[in-house]
Amino acid sequence: MKILLVFSSLVAATCSKQLFVGDQVLRITPRDEEQISLLKVLGEQEDLQVDFWRHPTSLSHPADLLVPFSSLQEVKSFLEARNIPYSIIMEDVQKLLDEEQKNMTKSRRERSISTFDFGSYHTMEEIFSWMDTLVENHPNLVSKLQIGQSFEDRPLYVLKFSTGGSNRSAIWLDTGTHSREWITQAIGVWTANKIAEEYGQDPSITAILDSMDIFFEVIVNPDGFAFTHSSNRLWRKTRSLNPGSHCIGVDPNRNWDAGFGGSGSSGNSCSDTYRGPYANSEPEVKSIVDFVKSHGNIKAFVSIHSYSQLLLYPYGYTTTPAPDQKELHEISQKAVAALESLYGTKYKYGSIITTIYKASGSTIDWTYNQGIKYSFTFELRDTGRYGFLLPATQIVPTAEETWQALKVIILHARDNLY
Amino acid sequence: IPDLGHKYYLQFTTEDYKTGENSGSCLATVLYPKNKSPPVVTIKCVPAKDPKEIQEEDKRLYQKMRHQTKPITGHNIPDSYGNIEPALEPVWALAVAGSSSIMWEKSRENVGYFLAQVKSVKQWIRKDDLLEFDYTVLLHEIPTQEIISCHMRLTWLPSRSLKVKHFCASENQELNEGSGMGSGSAAEVLQERGANF
Repeated sequence: MKILLVFSSLVAATCSKQLFVGDQVLRITPRDEEQISLLKVLGEQEDLQVDFWRHPTSLSHPADLLVPFSSLQEVKSFLEARNIPYSIIMEDVQKLLDEEQKNMTKSRRERSISTFDFGSYHTMEEIFSWMDTLVENHPNLVSKLQIGQSFEDRPLYVLKFSTGGSNRSAIWLDTGTHSREWITQAIGVWTANKIAEEYGQDPSITAILDSMDIFFEVIVNPDGFAFTHSSNRLWRKTRSLNPGSHCIGVDPNRNWDAGFGGSGSSGNSCSDTYRGPYANSEPEVKSIVDFVKSHGNIKAFVSIHSYSQLLLYPYGYTTTPAPDQKELHEISQKAVAALESLYGTKYKYGSIITTIYKASGSTIDWTYNQGIKYSFTFELRDTGRYGFLLPATQIVPTAEETWQALKVIILHARDNLY
Repeated sequence: IPDLGHKYYLQFTTEDYKTGENSGSCLATVLYPKNKSPPVVTIKCVPAKDPKEIQEEDKRLYQKMRHQTKPITGHNIPDSYGNIEPALEPVWALAVAGSSSIMWEKSRENVGYFLAQVKSVKQWIRKDDLLEFDYTVLLHEIPTQEIISCHMRLTWLPSRSLKVKHFCASENQELNEGSGMGSGSAAEVLQERGANF
């Protein structure tokens, strides 16, 4: 596993096609403090271009050093002259990289749940492929629906978790509305997997799925998501063309028919909060609208974003409190407490407009006005240190803590059907 | 305050950007004038660390970067996956400090910023002792959600002021002549820049 991680970072760093032909990795075991200092000096010599994969810090821990082919002679002479013991743990780094590249390509094609790494960020194709695997592995619980197509004709897939019945009361979850919020699609995959796993294991999830359905759209904005991988990591909107403008895309969280056109959105197509020419102009949004309306029996709707660590409920377009404000506030308090109990992550909560800012035409304002009382939006980790660029090491902890909060909301909905 | 604007009284603690340790507390007042001109700020902080210790840390940071014989360069810090190469951490730390001065100047009562990413950094080797870097930083603007690209030139010597010159251009609008100079003691800045990040 460690080697895979190490190579992944090497591969990620080689986007400029840097080669490591003949380069070696040496494992060095310093004998005393002086040797440790010597190694540090070695590491700092710019012309040698050596790279410590494991730094020389103490006598009990060997250091691993990547040495370019051209520096091998000099480095080995240096070590031998000072009696610093070393061994060659990788004879030719490029060879191993090539092998690894082959394996990675192979495992992407592998249709097996157990090899999917939930702790790393994936491409849209990898996520779609994993969805099929999930369905294959849980055929009596999970199915994949297509509710429409994006502007660039990518499929809008929704996973349906159902144990039967006909048009049961349902929960809707979504992630990836704003493409740059990568932590959301990532926890979306983990959570969908969790739901499938927990059925038959966890009593409350089992009870819920025995009476309700769950719909989960993991990638609400596939065009944007593809764009964050190919071109601009910080892209937020859809990728629809705006006639008469060179600027692309509409903010899918300002395109809904609730306070549409208000000052909590922009009329400028170049803006990152551009509302679009009219409500539901974006197929990504319209598909969900059509689905929700025709289903008619959705009781809770949770749309997941990042970052800021907030749990929000309507309204964003008006300061008028939502009629169910008190109940929504209480649920939020419980959900946030459950979330915090895991890793101490602190969340704030409240209505969109009082907690974050005015937002017109946002998703959960529309769903709430449709009668879906339990409409919530999450803003996941962090609070700005990494922002959109949250390290992958935080994916699983974020997913785990968010799951605690989601369960609170889902269970409350189940126990308070209307 | 009628006819003048809104005045805020703040009491807050700061934490080390890297470790999350408590690094001190501050008392501040911020007056946002009605006419939208830059806010008037008074601030007084009590550091948690001994000033000698801060000086030592600054010196160490400085030596680390000074030790390079080749100019430090980098881009996409953190990268798409949130990773920061350990070798580039010092340079990132300086970017955080420097861009906070840009954010200080640009923020208003209802407009705030976060550092989204260091797009690129290039070191200029100087004949004197100062460290000098050329940055392109991306700021995430709230509530507009825009990503603002700023060019930042930063010079630093420990126990002297961190000097920042910047020029920001909004991707989607006319170029804003947002250049300006901010200065402050590096020790102060590097330590205060903990806040709620």
